[in-house]
Amino acid sequence: MRITIHPILGLLKERKKITIEIDGQKIEALEGEPIAAALWNAGIRDFRYTRKRKEPRGFFCGIGLCTDCKMIVNGIPNIRTCVTLVEKGMKIQRQRD
Amino acid sequence: MDNSKNEQGKLVCRCEEVTEEEVRQAIKDGAKTLREIKMITRAGMGLCQGRSCSKIISLILAEETGISIDKIEPAGYRPPLRPIAISALAKAKKKIGKKLKYKFSSAYNE
Amino acid sequence: MIETEIAIVGAGPAGLAAACESAQVGSKVIVFDENNHPGGQLVKQIHKFFGSKEHLAGVRGIDIGKKLYKRALSLGVEVRLGTVVWGYFENQLAVVFNNQVEVVSAKKIIVATGALENTLSFPGWTLPGIMGAGGAQTLMNLYRILPGKKVLMVGAGNVGLIIAYQLLQAGAEVIAVVEAAPKIGGYKVHADKILRNGVPILTGHTVKEALGKERVEKVIIAQVRSDFSIIPETEREIDADTICLAVGLTPLTELLWLMECEMRYESDLGGFIPVRNKNMETSISGIYIAGDVAGIEEASIAMEEGRIAGIAAAESLGHIISDKARMIKNRAEESLLQLRLNPSFAPRMTEKNKTNNGIIKNSQIEILNRNGSIPIIECNECIPCNPCETVCLFGCIQVGTTITNLPLLNLDKCTGCGQCVLACPGLAIFLLDRNYSKDEAAITLPYEFLPLPKKGEKVIALDRNGSKVCEGEVLNVILTKKGDRTALVKIAIPKEHADKVRSIKTTRLDSGKEGEN
Repeated sequence: MRITIHPILGLLKERKKITIEIDGQKIEALEGEPIAAALWNAGIRDFRYTRKRKEPRGFFCGIGLCTDCKMIVNGIPNIRTCVTLVEKGMKIQRQRD
Repeated sequence: MDNSKNEQGKLVCRCEEVTEEEVRQAIKDGAKTLREIKMITRAGMGLCQGRSCSKIISLILAEETGISIDKIEPAGYRPPLRPIAISALAKAKKKIGKKLKYKFSSAYNE
Repeated sequence: MIETEIAIVGAGPAGLAAACESAQVGSKVIVFDENNHPGGQLVKQIHKFFGSKEHLAGVRGIDIGKKLYKRALSLGVEVRLGTVVWGYFENQLAVVFNNQVEVVSAKKIIVATGALENTLSFPGWTLPGIMGAGGAQTLMNLYRILPGKKVLMVGAGNVGLIIAYQLLQAGAEVIAVVEAAPKIGGYKVHADKILRNGVPILTGHTVKEALGKERVEKVIIAQVRSDFSIIPETEREIDADTICLAVGLTPLTELLWLMECEMRYESDLGGFIPVRNKNMETSISGIYIAGDVAGIEEASIAMEEGRIAGIAAAESLGHIISDKARMIKNRAEESLLQLRLNPSFAPRMTEKNKTNNGIIKNSQIEILNRNGSIPIIECNECIPCNPCETVCLFGCIQVGTTITNLPLLNLDKCTGCGQCVLACPGLAIFLLDRNYSKDEAAITLPYEFLPLPKKGEKVIALDRNGSKVCEGEVLNVILTKKGDRTALVKIAIPKEHADKVRSIKTTRLDSGKEGEN
């Protein structure tokens, strides 16, 4: 859920909307935001599944350190989505390693 | 509520899915440093390189062995400190090739 | 090859302060930061800072960050964002930007890489929806996304308390704050801000287990003994879709280990930190540290350490003579002394504390026959903070040179203007008019939520624990530029509740938030 108005941060300024794709599902993102933010906003909580236990993982530290949010972006795996900005037409897939 | 996953054992290393039990067993088997625990269990070898688990494992090691926490050093740091594409390293071979030779394995020397 | 005189790793408060200080005396400075934004953690700190005027007390963290960044740029500092420092080879930093690797040749290096959040492992802790408290703060304050709707906060240090409050401001419900220790670790004023908005702080409690299929749905909390072991039969199951872990920070010293600096374990400062001298220089000549990487403290301390490191590096390059450098370092060191004074509780106010000439120490004023609003300063913890003294135009509030002193109020000159209410970073000052009308008292509260109540509206008046006391009527709402987004809300309540009411809950249904999905 997008916080469009906030008592301290004010009104969210209009920003260009772009579309990215996650495992075939198209979602809306705001230009300049990280992939993880767009996914969280779209209600997606499972960014990947672990190798041994096949557990869902998602957003954890938010600043590129824990690597739990890693996904395959435009064919390249292990991309930390919380510090990688969205780009128009990005194709993102869940890793299952 | 389905908590069967929780019954598989509590994870301490998120990246490599290593349980607390495995870490304690490694210590019982003789591991006395974070590096040794890492070698045996893989805890700390994942993409985050121990950032999420090393503090927890240090506390377990201190508890199991009585080693003071201030004597438990990290398993060791090697470059790169963040995930980096091999293509980026390959492109930069001319710039840093000689330097990397000293830190990476000799297999890099081509 | 990137060449510079001073390379700074980290564009947070410490790194930027170091950059400004060294650039001001002519050093060529480049700051590298792996994030896409400058300011480090400051960009998420939407609350007003403590400290004194020099520390920009009363200014919101986000604005401090912007000021620092602007100043650095204006001084000719080059800031390279999205640039990761990933290695250190033969005295040179290796960086990467957009998959392009570069080597940095610098005469001096200042490492200001900050800290990372600790983790707490419990069964189910890997479920999506469980995140670092800082991660939740990043989502809501930087990316404007609600982390979740029903949040459990783990940890009642300043980080947990502040982020719990910010979650309320963002529109989340904070079910509770659990804290394993028997006492709240953070400042009392931070705790009060959430308690009076109905968020209980459960000390002596921890998370036993998190449950859920694909994301967290329920959490089991339990009481703990003093050794933090769980007391059987005290478990309680709560619905939650988010758990925030605020269980401490650890200095992010990876680069310094790589550089083979001598390290030392300091448990009060978060773990291993580099050994350093008064110039903030490590055991390796030419490598300096500043900020949380040198020990977990506060942003204002990070800035002062940055200043010292910056000026020391510039001095060693010959950009400033020793005497002038010493002056700057002395000032920073004095500031650090003030900021490092330990918070402690003041003795409870007794009859003895009241003097005859009208100076009354803070907190509860039992009987006072005076018309008009008077400030009630509910600040009884000695923390380094004095915006209340600075802001009062009539000199009614006195803190003194030791800024951890409690504020002393002199009512003789007080006009009830409410500036102190707005200036207090802890939102701990209220205005009380006991004789507003025959049956009513009027209380003015600092208010930082949406929707803002409207004049004439009926609200629910809450006590310091967030429990309903009575109904109130909104008399006035003032939101001015000077208040910097803190509103003054004046309500009328039955006289007998004047000493209890310290918060309100609006009863309007529209939340003012659009685009809920």
